Amino acid sequence: MVQERKFLKGPRLRNPADYDFPGLQRALKMEPEEVIQEISESKLLGRGGAGFPTGTKWDMAFKEEGEFKYIICNADEGEPGTFKDRYLLDERTLKVLEGMLIGAYVIDADYGYIYIRGEYFKSIKILQEALEEAREAGILGENILGSDFSFDIKLVRGAGCYVCGDETSLLNSLEGMRGQSRTKPPYPISKGLCGCPTLVNNVESLACVAEILHQGASEFATMGTEDSKGTKLVCLSGDVNYPGVYEVEFGSSTLQEIITDLGGGPRKSHDIKFVIPGGLSTRILTRDKLDYKYSYEGLEEAGSSLGSGGVMVVGSEQDLTAILTRIARFYMDESCGTCFPCREGNQQIYKIISRVGKGKFTVNQLEIIEDLGNAMAEAARCGLGQSAQYPTGTILAEFKEELVEGAVY
Amino acid sequence: MIELTIDNKKVAVEPNTTLLEAANEINVNIPTLCFADDLTVYGGCRLCVVEVEGENRLRPACNTRARQGMVVKTHSPRVREVRETLFELIIASHDISCELNCLTCSRKSSCQLKDVAEDIDVSRMRLEPGDEEEEYDRSSHSIVREPNKCITCARCIRKCEEIQGVGVFAKASRGPETRVTTFKDKGMGNVECTNCGQCVVSCPTGALHEVYHMEKVWDALYDEDKHVIVQTAPSVRVAIAEAFGEEPGTIATGQMVAALRRLGFDRVFDTNFTADLTIMEEGTEVVDRVVNNDRLPVLTSCSPGWIKFIEHFYPEHLENLSSAKSPQQMFGAVAKNYYAEKIGISPDDLVVVSIMPCTAKKFEARRPEMSDDVDYVLTTREAARMLKSVGVNACDLEPEDYDEMLGVSSGAGDIFGASGGVMEAAIRTAYNLITGEELEEIEITPVRGLQGLKTASIPVTEDLTLRVGIAHGLNNAKKMMEKIKAGEEFHFVEFMACPGGCISGGGQPINTELTWQEVRERRIASLYEIDENKEMRRSHLNPKIKKLYEEYLEEPGSAKAHKLLHTDYTVRGVPGA
Repeated sequence: MVQERKFLKGPRLRNPADYDFPGLQRALKMEPEEVIQEISESKLLGRGGAGFPTGTKWDMAFKEEGEFKYIICNADEGEPGTFKDRYLLDERTLKVLEGMLIGAYVIDADYGYIYIRGEYFKSIKILQEALEEAREAGILGENILGSDFSFDIKLVRGAGCYVCGDETSLLNSLEGMRGQSRTKPPYPISKGLCGCPTLVNNVESLACVAEILHQGASEFATMGTEDSKGTKLVCLSGDVNYPGVYEVEFGSSTLQEIITDLGGGPRKSHDIKFVIPGGLSTRILTRDKLDYKYSYEGLEEAGSSLGSGGVMVVGSEQDLTAILTRIARFYMDESCGTCFPCREGNQQIYKIISRVGKGKFTVNQLEIIEDLGNAMAEAARCGLGQSAQYPTGTILAEFKEELVEGAVY
Repeated sequence: MIELTIDNKKVAVEPNTTLLEAANEINVNIPTLCFADDLTVYGGCRLCVVEVEGENRLRPACNTRARQGMVVKTHSPRVREVRETLFELIIASHDISCELNCLTCSRKSSCQLKDVAEDIDVSRMRLEPGDEEEEYDRSSHSIVREPNKCITCARCIRKCEEIQGVGVFAKASRGPETRVTTFKDKGMGNVECTNCGQCVVSCPTGALHEVYHMEKVWDALYDEDKHVIVQTAPSVRVAIAEAFGEEPGTIATGQMVAALRRLGFDRVFDTNFTADLTIMEEGTEVVDRVVNNDRLPVLTSCSPGWIKFIEHFYPEHLENLSSAKSPQQMFGAVAKNYYAEKIGISPDDLVVVSIMPCTAKKFEARRPEMSDDVDYVLTTREAARMLKSVGVNACDLEPEDYDEMLGVSSGAGDIFGASGGVMEAAIRTAYNLITGEELEEIEITPVRGLQGLKTASIPVTEDLTLRVGIAHGLNNAKKMMEKIKAGEEFHFVEFMACPGGCISGGGQPINTELTWQEVRERRIASLYEIDENKEMRRSHLNPKIKKLYEEYLEEPGSAKAHKLLHTDYTVRGVPGA
């Protein structure tokens, strides 16, 4: 029986009067290099979806020289099937702030932004209050906690654009520009917000940092596997009996166990048809591939990736063509329209899928979708276009018999 | 130097070189569409993706810097497969469906989609094209936008913003609805568009082209009751040959004159003639204003794109503009009055056509201040199309001379087409007007060249050193205006809307092979060559100009000259600003 491992989870933490910011207290007594060292030792990987080592990112941001530096908390949680940042923002509010403050101290950031998904009305209200109270309590502003360190944060609401979860698009949006990705290089670390060095971290990564500084990298590193340290907030949704956010120690369980033990098994279906394991933009895993350990490397071995931690369970009674249509429509609408493979590729895929409707795909149509998907994965400008066809492509590949006309496999 | 391997060949490049540039150095052509050598990197079309050893995805060559030891494959099977699919996608987004509109397209002979199709040897076309009907933007006197041919590569957007500093275009909507448009979809004729046409020449497809006057000119030519005359701008003679497959800068003056006669024009005249006239009028005005310290600096007025720009963005400086009409408009005025009188026909039966390197000239000809001067304006491209359609090659014929009355010009008129040329021509004459002597050193090199902003001090008398400035490309014009606003003192400043001057105007043949810089340099060099080879290189020595004043206009700046050859301007501003 899999149990939750509560590292990030905990009692509601919103009012600075009830919290003494132990991680920040400790960090402020350390040199920035020492904090980076600690984060690096913890082997924390970014929790936004790309899994880049946080220590390395911070080190780069630290070494970057600039008159003005920014730190941004990416709270634009728009990946379908993902809602763990919302939990942290609502319930562990001050842990997120603490992580951000530690980051700001380490890279010597002058100002911070929390860019939050516009539809998170409740979280926005909670954060607004928490920021105000933090300012009153001296946690934000001049000489934080009596140190030389001064810093403040502004909360900015997104306007409903999925691609703004991509960090370069987020920067454009923050600057008041069109929400679309930027060409890289330059990377935000060297030229980000308004051309200044900018560190962008996901909500969960920042909460992890706060706990790592509080409990120590060694404590963090005792959890998980060699390549996946710590815990992960898993967002369980779809055809399961108990959807929700569960904290799971890496390597302690399989996807199947998470779904059965924590999620109470499939709902309204006899069985699981497939699982989208890391938010919509990941390859699907069929029933027979759910026995890999839940970790970065485990899911990769299974043929997908951990992504954002959004585990969507699709029951055996679901209509595949309806799912395909909905997915294709989503990516088509959300493409920022800048790079051709994403703009035109998603549109063509949607056209083909909606033309097929409840019917079956021809072998030719399947081939075209495969080619388009490949071109998008290889050549699209940002993560949206590169990964947009993962769920569609893998559903078509795994369920050919059901979906393709005259297919003999 | 950074050493890397591209397609199994070692190449050493400077730091910060992109893979696109590095490949160029070993003569490997990587197809591109959204890339343009004078604009910022956009990274939208992705056609230039290449395989970089050790990277899990393909990388765009336009925005990937060479690194030491990099191993790059530009045309591997993986790359070619992706590239072909990308191209299928691009074609599906561009309306080239059943109606065979390729054949009627403004870019039928300079289409970059066709170039790319050839580059990657496209073998399949499996996708259905978009079916959205989009309305043409016909709101402008100069430019038509056909959105169905737009592939949203943003070259027009970047050109207008980065090179011209105007920014009439923007992207609107997302996903498949993403499109290029103007503010509030008002259309190019209803926003701060200067009509310069730099967007037209930067477009890879036929989504932007000039408002055609070809049909109207055909009608006039076929009408036996009309006397149809044509004027050709300085820059046309060094560019029109390109439309017939010749190299940029090929000088085809005499051949072009012969060809235009074949087309059926009753007289073929030269805008250079009125360029000389402009120098007389504007030069006189400059001298007068310098001597009287009246509304300095004097700003030139011959580039209609620049005029619209200043009317929108610096209307408080309209009084600084020279009141002299542009050579095109002066020609029209002289033709409709002096010439009509001389040959004894009614101005109503006279049709004045100009061939210009410019799209803004179409707007200029329709300005209410002077709408009777010129009837139709053809771009160099339109003229070439008309010639082709009567089976005439503008490079093959025996050269002929312009008709005399309005066709004799000095070398000063020729160089009008190059940035700094108007200034140089003006100085040659102003020197004479002030001192009564001829300027010895006739080639004024500090005002030549392609630097964005040029300034020079020209000693004239002991007491007077002319302080002059030159800006070309509207972004540079903006910088120059800011200098002037900040108090930098000039007597006379030349402005050209297009980078390099009229030789790279929005109506010129579009070269998809060379960089704009190369094309500009060659055309400019040819204009200076023409000037150098002329006996007469000073406007005030043009005998036909002298005759015009003697017989008709009296003297430069006379009341009659003012009535015909000078104009005023319109305060436009920026609504809402």
